[in-house]
Amino acid sequence: MSVSRHISNDGKDLTLSIRGKFDFSMVNDFRRAYSSLGEETQHVYVDLRETEYLDSSALGMLLNMRKAICDHVNAIHIINCRPEVKSILDISRFDKLFVID
Amino acid sequence: MLRSSRQLVIDIYYDDSVFAQHVCDALKQLDIARRIRCIPVAEWSAQAQLVRPSLLVVETVESFLLQRLRCPEQLLIVPNELSSKLLMQWEGDSLAWQQCSGTRVIQRIKSVADAFNNSRQLQAVRESLLWHNQRVDREHALVEHIFKNALSRNYLEYPHIRTLLTPAAKFNGDLCLVAPGSTGSLYVLMADFTGHGLAPATGALPLSQAFFAMVDNSVSVAEMVKEFNYRLNQLLPNEMFCACFIMELSANGQRVTYWNGGMPPAIVLGADGEIKQRLKAQHMALGVLDSDAFEAHTTTIQTHSDDRIAMYTDGVIEMLSQNREFLGLEALERYLMRYSGLDEFDLLVKKLAQFRGAQPLQDDLSLAILQCCPTGLGPQEEQDELEVLPFSFTSHLEAEDLKHLDVVATILGVLGRLPPIHHHRTTIYLLLAEVFNNALEHGLLGLDSRIKADPEGFAYYYQLRAERLAQLQSGSITIRVEYARAHHRLRFNVRNSGAAWEWPEFDETADGYSSYGRGIDLLRQLATDIEWHDGGREISFTYYAIPRSKH
Repeated sequence: MSVSRHISNDGKDLTLSIRGKFDFSMVNDFRRAYSSLGEETQHVYVDLRETEYLDSSALGMLLNMRKAICDHVNAIHIINCRPEVKSILDISRFDKLFVID
Repeated sequence: MLRSSRQLVIDIYYDDSVFAQHVCDALKQLDIARRIRCIPVAEWSAQAQLVRPSLLVVETVESFLLQRLRCPEQLLIVPNELSSKLLMQWEGDSLAWQQCSGTRVIQRIKSVADAFNNSRQLQAVRESLLWHNQRVDREHALVEHIFKNALSRNYLEYPHIRTLLTPAAKFNGDLCLVAPGSTGSLYVLMADFTGHGLAPATGALPLSQAFFAMVDNSVSVAEMVKEFNYRLNQLLPNEMFCACFIMELSANGQRVTYWNGGMPPAIVLGADGEIKQRLKAQHMALGVLDSDAFEAHTTTIQTHSDDRIAMYTDGVIEMLSQNREFLGLEALERYLMRYSGLDEFDLLVKKLAQFRGAQPLQDDLSLAILQCCPTGLGPQEEQDELEVLPFSFTSHLEAEDLKHLDVVATILGVLGRLPPIHHHRTTIYLLLAEVFNNALEHGLLGLDSRIKADPEGFAYYYQLRAERLAQLQSGSITIRVEYARAHHRLRFNVRNSGAAWEWPEFDETADGYSSYGRGIDLLRQLATDIEWHDGGREISFTYYAIPRSKH
């Protein structure tokens, strides 16, 4: 379980990759990962390709992130969701708040 | 000179004439060889593979002598008065015998012996070369077989990519790999090892193996290049490295993430063939830097379904024309703009071939054009084929267990491996975690969800949870799971020994997205037959692990 940060070459994209289980145990790590956004950051990507499990607190954490940064960035993307993860996000109507693909 | 000739062993074929007898005697007296074997000419054959320098001593040239010789290094000795007309038809050397000085005879015989030995040596070298060539061919065939197997998964038939892969020698030092990721994305790798031929092609093996293994897990481009660099840095000699462009196209075709180390710029072409972007190298090639110094930063660009990305190795821009002029990047870009459609790829290849004419390739040459449309690749999931027996189990967890075990993940670690449940493990985790966390947090730890209403409270809530759990002295949670084969029905029952508790009404905030209370909503939508007993101390729900439709 970990959150890793990856900033693109031009500094415009921040990618947060969640590995393993996305749950309340990473509440502080996750917050820290987006707390110091650079001025030039335009897109934030939450990469869930390696996320096998998530619980409802993960959804809460995503919403909190959105509250904190949505005024500073162009869009928040949730990317590389496995089909089950995608349907959970759809049921939660996250597609209205995030760019999900 | 005489000494070396004394090492000779020669054969003399002679007929039964007085002349032959005379010559044989004279030769023996000349002391020209260590040993002379005299053999009747009847045993001589034009097609014999002779093992020693040979002389033929005959009084007349019979017709059987005038055949094509298998071994032309033979000396025919005849009487001086014999017509030279017949001798013209003898393929080998000849000497008209005179009663003259022995020195001339010795020299002639020695030169025949030298020619014979040279020819024998040449023959031996030729045979060893032939054998060596066959061995190399056999080994190349084996290596080709290994390469073929290593690249058998290469998805070059992907409908939205066209490729031109032309090695300068038998083995390709360029590598173009295409594979679908498990999330429905598409990975393309174009690599160019230093040099061309077998040695650089060898580097393609570990690289392609690592690529296909990582693609299966949809590993990110950044993670991939880190691993590739680590492997190649360890494997390759100092003077060898690998320029590499690798990209991942998202399943919807709208996003490309790439890393370019030492490759010429990949070119993004728009709908009308205009150049939208050049994806230039920002990094050193693979296999040069240690892991500490290596940079795996990728770049993500937005793409449209009309966009195409052209990737190529430097062999294309450094291709020489008939007049030995380089093609160059500008000319390549003009060609790409003119023939940018996938359906025009054959034309593009033809134009490049026309440019090159009969000029031989100096380097391996690879070109690929990818259309950035939705990949149409379904997420890769194994099929449910194995059956599972009906089962049930109960897990009773005391306070100490609850402190130290990751309960829901552990249960799913077991359940999630069962074939019918495997594809539902994420959803089941979500549901069971919801019910279990409610039992623990509200039933045993007495936490109130409303604390989570703002971001600060959210973190505080989980801090409280950790503190109270650490202090928990008594209380227990019992989880029961039943599986019935009919409809793959899973029934969960979670009971806690704590306080009665009631689910709060889902308190939707104005925008409908509260940071808590969402789990219950999900439970209602994803599970059925939700039952609630004993003041919230016991909750049951059912989940049907219906197999996904086959792709």
